[in-house]
Amino acid sequence: MRAWMAPWLLLALPILGAGLSVFLKASLPRMKTVALVTTVASLCSVIGSALVLGEPASGVPFLCLLPLAACLSLLGQPLHRDTSAAWPMTLILLGLGLGTLTTQGLAHAILLLLLLILLSALLYRHQPDPAPDAWRGLSSFSLGLIATLLALTLPTPASNIATLVACATLFPLLPVHSGFVATVGGLPGNLPAFLAMLLPMVGFHDLQVILPTLSGTVLRTLGILALASALYGSLRALIQSRPLPRLAYAALAFFGMLWWYVADTGTAPIPATIYLSAVGLATSGLLLAWFAIRARYGDVDLRALGGMAYPMPRFSTLLALLALAALGMPPFGVFSGFLSMLLLPTFTPSASFAIIMLVWLTASWYQIELVQQLVFGRARLEVRYEDLRQTEFMSLVLLLFLLLVLGTAPSRLFESNAPTPPVSTASQGNTWIR
Amino acid sequence: MSFLVLVPLLPLLTAFIVMTGDRAEQDQNARAGLLPIVASFLGALLTLALVTSGGPVTIQWYDPAAISNLAFPIGFYIDRLSAVMMVLITGVTTLIYRYSMGYMYQDRGYRRYLGMLGLTTAVLLCMVSSANLVMLFIFWQILSWLLFLLAHNHGHAATLSGAANTFTMLRLSDAAFLAGIVLAYSLYGTFEFQTLFTRAAETPITLFIWPELGWEMNGVTAVTLLIFGGAMGKSAQFPIHTWLPRSLYAPTPIHALLHAGIINAGGFLLNRLAPLYGLSPSTLHVVFIIGMLTAILGATMMLTQNDIKKTLGFSTIGQMGYMIMECGLGAFSLAVFHLIAHGLFKGTVFLNCGNVIHKARQEPSFPHLDREAEESEFSNLTWSTGFFTTLVLPLIILLVTHGVLRIPLLESQGTVIFLFFIWVTSSQAILSLTRIRAVASWKVSAAMLVTLVIVVFTYLFAVESFTRFLYPNPEEVASYFKAAALPGRLFDSLVVGTTLMTVLSWVYLYAHAHGRTITIPHWIEALLVRLYVVCTNRLYLDQAYLHIGRLVTRVAHRLEKRLS
Repeated sequence: MRAWMAPWLLLALPILGAGLSVFLKASLPRMKTVALVTTVASLCSVIGSALVLGEPASGVPFLCLLPLAACLSLLGQPLHRDTSAAWPMTLILLGLGLGTLTTQGLAHAILLLLLLILLSALLYRHQPDPAPDAWRGLSSFSLGLIATLLALTLPTPASNIATLVACATLFPLLPVHSGFVATVGGLPGNLPAFLAMLLPMVGFHDLQVILPTLSGTVLRTLGILALASALYGSLRALIQSRPLPRLAYAALAFFGMLWWYVADTGTAPIPATIYLSAVGLATSGLLLAWFAIRARYGDVDLRALGGMAYPMPRFSTLLALLALAALGMPPFGVFSGFLSMLLLPTFTPSASFAIIMLVWLTASWYQIELVQQLVFGRARLEVRYEDLRQTEFMSLVLLLFLLLVLGTAPSRLFESNAPTPPVSTASQGNTWIR
Repeated sequence: MSFLVLVPLLPLLTAFIVMTGDRAEQDQNARAGLLPIVASFLGALLTLALVTSGGPVTIQWYDPAAISNLAFPIGFYIDRLSAVMMVLITGVTTLIYRYSMGYMYQDRGYRRYLGMLGLTTAVLLCMVSSANLVMLFIFWQILSWLLFLLAHNHGHAATLSGAANTFTMLRLSDAAFLAGIVLAYSLYGTFEFQTLFTRAAETPITLFIWPELGWEMNGVTAVTLLIFGGAMGKSAQFPIHTWLPRSLYAPTPIHALLHAGIINAGGFLLNRLAPLYGLSPSTLHVVFIIGMLTAILGATMMLTQNDIKKTLGFSTIGQMGYMIMECGLGAFSLAVFHLIAHGLFKGTVFLNCGNVIHKARQEPSFPHLDREAEESEFSNLTWSTGFFTTLVLPLIILLVTHGVLRIPLLESQGTVIFLFFIWVTSSQAILSLTRIRAVASWKVSAAMLVTLVIVVFTYLFAVESFTRFLYPNPEEVASYFKAAALPGRLFDSLVVGTTLMTVLSWVYLYAHAHGRTITIPHWIEALLVRLYVVCTNRLYLDQAYLHIGRLVTRVAHRLEKRLS
C-alpha cells in the first residue's frame, strides 16, 4: 500500500459502511450491526495502515480513539427509528474526521470544508422551533467555512489567522463556540456524544500545525480569550438545569483551559493531547449516560428525576465515576493530562493560573450537582426505574476504561515517532521572575 | 521489605470481600472482612518495629527523574511518622469496623458502609506512606471523594446538601494543594520529599509577584502557603471548617473514623513537609494564626451548640486548630502526639455517642436533670486544691525551671510553649474531669493532683521521648522552633494575655460559685449575648457562603439573559 492511499482508505471505509447501513435500514438490528462492524473495521484500518506505513503525525493511539468513540457511542443506542438516522451519519463524520486528520494541504482543507458543511446541514435539519442556539451554531460554522476558504486564498500570516478562526469553531473558543454548543445540545441520537470527541480533535490538530507560526500578540489574545472562555463556560454550566447544555458548557470550560495552556506556553505537547482526548471522552460518556435516561424518560429537567442509587445501581455507579473523571479526579485521564501538562518545563505558574484553578474547582460544583440530583435523594414513586441494558452498560464501562488507560499509562506510550512540532516562536517568557 | 506494601493493600481485600459477596451471606462476609483489617493492624505494628530499628523504607516503582511522564507515580516511603500513622489508622479502623458490625447490623447500607470503610482505610494508608508529593495528592483527592460518599444518607435531604458542601469545600483546598505542587515542581524540579527539602534549602528563590509594585515572596513561602491551603480543608480550619458540622448526619461510626483518622491528614501533611515549613518562618506564622483562630472559634462555638454531635464536631475543630497552632509554633512532634491522643479520645467518644443518642430516644428521663442539686454544693477544699494545682503549682514549676534548672526561658520559646501546653492541658483536664463545682471531697482533691502529675509526666517524658522518636536529631527540632519564633514582644504579650485571661476566668468562676455579683458593664453583657447568638449560628459562615454561591449564580443568570 502506498502512503497517499492510507488517508483515502480511512475516509472511504466508514463512508462505505454508512452506505451499506442505509441500504439495510429496513432492519434496525442489521443496520446497527453494520455500523458497529464498520467502526471496528475502521479501527483496524487505522492500526493496519500505521503498521504498514509508519505513524501519521497525530499519533496512532489518539487516531484510534475516534473509531473507538464512534463504536462506543453507537453501541449503547436503543434500536429505534428516531435515532437510527444518526448511525450512518456517525460513520460519515468518522470518515471525514479520519480523512481530515491524516491528510494535508488542499485535500485537508476540502475535507474540513465538507465536515463544516455537513455539520451546518445537520444543525439546520435538526433545529428545534424556535432555535436561537441552532442559528448561532449555524453562524459559527459558517464563519468556520469562510475562514477555511480564506485560509486557502490568503497569504501568511493572514491565512494562519483564518485557520485559527476555523479551529476555534471546532475546538471551541469564545466567541465562536456556539457551533460546538449547538451540536452537543441539539443533534439527535448518538451524534453529540461522538462529535464531542471528533470536533475538538480536528480543531486541535489544525492548531498544532499552525502553532509555531503564531506571533506573541496572537498568543496573548488567545490567552485572554481562553480565560474568558473557561470562565464563561463554567458560569453557564453552573446554571443549566438541563444536562445537555450543562455538559456542552462544561466541555467549553475545560477546552478553554487547554487553549489557555497552549497560548501561555506556545506548545501543544503529548499531555495536552491526552487531556483533550480525556475531556472529549468524559463528555461523551456523560452524554451517553444521559441518553440512556432520555431513552427512558424523555428530555426532562434534571429536577424531575432522582434517587437512582438503589433502583439503578449500575447506572448510578457509572455516572458517578464518569462525573469524577470529567471533573478531573484521579486516576482518570483528565486529571493526569492536566497535571502532566503543568509539570512540563515549558509551563511556569502565573497569575492567570489562579483563574484556571478556579475553573477547575467550579467543575466539582456543577458535576457533583448533576450526580447528586440523579443518583442520590429519595427514589420517586411515580418514576418506573429500569437499570442499564447490557449494551448501554458495556459502552459506558469501556469508555471509563479508556479514560482510566489515558490516566494511568505513561505518556511516552502516546508519543509519536513523528517530529514534535517546535515551540512557538513567540512563546511567552516566564511570568515569575526568579 | 516489599511485603510492607501489603499493609495498605489488605483493607482493599476487606472492601472486596464485603462488597462482592452474596447479600444473603453479608454477615459472614463482614466477619471475614475483619481478618484483613486485623492483619493490616498487625502488619502496621511490625512496620513500626522494622522502621524503628532499620530506618526508613523506600519502595519505588517509577523513575524519579522522569516523574512528569508518569501519571501515577506509585511508590512508598515509610519512616517513623508514616509507621506511627499507619498504626493509628489501622488500630482505629479495627475497632470501628468491629463496632460497626453490631451498630450497623441490618442497616440497608451495611455492605456499602463496611466496604467503604475498608476502601477509605486503604486510601488513608497509601496517603501516609506515599513516596512523593504527587502520590500523596492523588490519594488526598480520592479521600475527598470517599468522604463525600461516606457522608451520604441517600434519603435525607440535609445530609445530601451537607455531603455536597463537604466535597466542594475539600476541593477548594485540593485546588490550593495542586497549585502548591505545581509551583514546587516548577521551582525545584522534583516531587521526592528528601530531594525537595534539600533543593529548597540549597537554592533560595524569590518570586516577584508584581514587579512594578515590588511585591515579592520567598519561593518556599509560596509553596508552603499553598500546600497549607490543602491542609486547612482536610483539618477543618477556619474559615473552611464549615463542611465538618454539616456532615454530621452520617452514621456515627463514620465520625469516629473521620474525627480519629481522616481529619488528622492536615497535621500529617505539615509534619511530612516539616523540613520545608521549617524554611519559611512567614508560613509558620500564618499557620499559627489560622490554628489559633480555629482553636478559639471552634471551642467557643462548641459551647453554644445544642446537639451532641455538633458539640463534638466543634470540639474537634477546636482541637484541630490547637494541633495546627502547635505546628505553627514549630512543635511538629507535639502536634502528632496531640492528634494521636485526640484521635483515640474522640473516636471513643463518637462510638459512645451513638449509644447515648439511642438511649436518650428510649428513656425520656435521660440525660438526668439533677444539675441544680450539684451546683448548690461548694467546697473550700476542692477550690483551694484546684487553685493550687492550676495556678500556683505551674508558677512554681516555671520558677524552678528557670531558676534551679537554669533553662533560659526568655530565649527559648520552644520550652515556654511546652510548659504552656502542660499548664493549659492540666488545667483543662482538672476543670472538666473533676467538675469541681459539683463534688466536694478529699478524693476529688487527690484526683486533681494525680491529674496534674500525669499531665506533667506525659509532657515531660512521653512527649519528649516521642519527639526524640519522630525527630531523632535535636538540632532539627531546635531549628523548627527557631524558624517559628515569634517576635519577642508579641510572644510575651500572647503568654501574658492568655495567662491573664485564665486567671480572670478563675476569679470569675470563684466569685460566681460563691454567689457573689460581679459588676459587668452593660455593653459587655450585651456584647456577650450577641456573641452567643453569633456563635450559636456558627458565625453565619454557612449563610455567607450560600450568599456567595447565590451571587455567582445570579451573575451567571444575568449573563445568560443578556446573551440570549
